[in-house]
Amino acid sequence: MFNGEEFFLFNKKLKKIVKIEKNPRLKFFYTFIFSILLAQFILITPTSAFADDIFNQGKLIATGGVTQIEGAGGSGLTTWALITGYGTDRGVGINAHHTTAWLSDFTLNATGVGVGLYDRVELSYTHQWFDTNEAGGRLGIGNNFVFDQDIFGAKIRLAGNAVYDQDKLLPQISVGVNYKKNGDGALVRALGSTDDDSFDYYIAATKILLNESLILSATARLTEANQYGILGYGGATNNHSLQGEFSIAYMFTPKLVAGIDYRTKPDNLAFAKEQDAMAAYIAYFLNKNLSVTVAGLDLGDIALQGRQRGFYISLQAGF
Amino acid sequence: MLRLFYSIILMAMLSFANNAKAGTLYNDLGGQEVIEKFIVRTLDLSVTDERIAHTLERTDMDRLGKLIVEQVCELTGGPCTYSGVSMQKSHVGLGLTTAHFNALVEHLQQAMSESDIPNSTQNKLLALLAPMHRDVVEE
Repeated sequence: MFNGEEFFLFNKKLKKIVKIEKNPRLKFFYTFIFSILLAQFILITPTSAFADDIFNQGKLIATGGVTQIEGAGGSGLTTWALITGYGTDRGVGINAHHTTAWLSDFTLNATGVGVGLYDRVELSYTHQWFDTNEAGGRLGIGNNFVFDQDIFGAKIRLAGNAVYDQDKLLPQISVGVNYKKNGDGALVRALGSTDDDSFDYYIAATKILLNESLILSATARLTEANQYGILGYGGATNNHSLQGEFSIAYMFTPKLVAGIDYRTKPDNLAFAKEQDAMAAYIAYFLNKNLSVTVAGLDLGDIALQGRQRGFYISLQAGF
Repeated sequence: MLRLFYSIILMAMLSFANNAKAGTLYNDLGGQEVIEKFIVRTLDLSVTDERIAHTLERTDMDRLGKLIVEQVCELTGGPCTYSGVSMQKSHVGLGLTTAHFNALVEHLQQAMSESDIPNSTQNKLLALLAPMHRDVVEE
C-alpha cells in the first residue's frame, strides 16, 4: 500500500499518462453495431444447401455452453472444454455476444464473436471496456476513464466427448490459449504491471453427468493477467502462475441451466490486492440462435475500491 | 439481494439433484404403456422432420418402434429382452451423422415431455442411450 505522499505522486503520474481524450462509448457502439451487422450478414447468407450443411446446428441445445468473460465457450467466469456453437463434427457454428456487468464501482462491457469448427477447434475474439465511473476520479485517472482490452482465443478439443461418453469417466478435455492486449499500456505499467500484452495457457476438463443432470468443469490456467488483464499483466516479482476455474451447473430442462463458478486469480500488483471471483448464473436458451444469461457476481477487491459485487446480463446470438 | 440470488440458485440445484427415486428407471418412466407411447411419438415426429425423414424411408416403422421399446425396456430394468441385432450392425451403411442422431434425441425429449416425464428422469434415459452414438454414427 501507499502512504499519502506516494499516492499523491502516483496520481500525478497517472494523470500525465491519461491525457488523451478517448471516446470509449462511441468505440463500443461501433464495435457492437459491426458485430450485429456481421452476424446479420452471415445469418442471411446461408440459403444454399451447402450453407445449411455447414451451419448444421446439429448439436443438442445448450451443449455449446454460453460465452464466458474472455469470449470463450463456457459459463460466466470459467472456460469449458466444450467447443462453442452448434456445429457438429461436420459443421461450423458462429455466435456473437454482448455482456454488461454492473459492479459496485465499475461497469464492464464485453462484445465479441466465437467460431466453433467441426466440434474440434474454437476461435474467439472479444473486446472489453472497463468503465471506472467515479472510481476513476478517486484513482486520479479521471471519472469514467475506460480500460480497454482485446482478447483473442484459440481452443482445441483433445479427447473425450462430454455429451456421448456417458459410460466413461473420461471428461472432454481441451487446451487453449488467450492472447490479451491491453489498450492502455503506459497506464497499466504505471499501475505496476510489467506488460501491456500477455498469453494465458489453459487446459479444461468438462463432464456432463446426464444421470445427475449436472455439468462439472475444471480448468487450470497459467496466467499473469491482473484482473483478467484489464489492469495489465505481471508485476514486480511475479510472472505466470497456475490458477483454477471451477464450475458446477444443473440442467433444469434442456433449455434452462443454472450454475456456480469459482475462479482463482493471481495477485501481482503491489498497489492493490486481487482476490478470487465467483458467479452464480441462470442461462436460458430460447432456441439454438439466442440465449440469455443473468448472473450475480462477486469479483473481490478491484483497484482499491473494495469488494466488487453486482449483476451481469449476457446476450448471445448465433447460427 | 445478491445473497438471495445465490441461495435461490443453490437451493434449486440441490432440491432438483436429490429427487432420485428408488426402483427402476423403467418404473420412473411410467412402465410399458408410457414407454410405448413416447417411442411411437418420437418416430412420428422423426418421419416428418426433413433432417432425418430420408434416413427412415426404407424402414419398417412398426418393427423399428417395437425394437426400440424392447431396447428401452431392457436398458431401464424392465421385463423385456431386446430381440434385434447390435446397434452397430443395424446402422451399418446408413451414413448417419451426429446431427441425425441428435435430431432423434430432440424428438425423444419432446415426446417424453409430452408424456409428462420429469427432465431429470429423461436425462437418466438419455445417459443410457448416449453411448450408442459411437455405434450409430459413422466417422
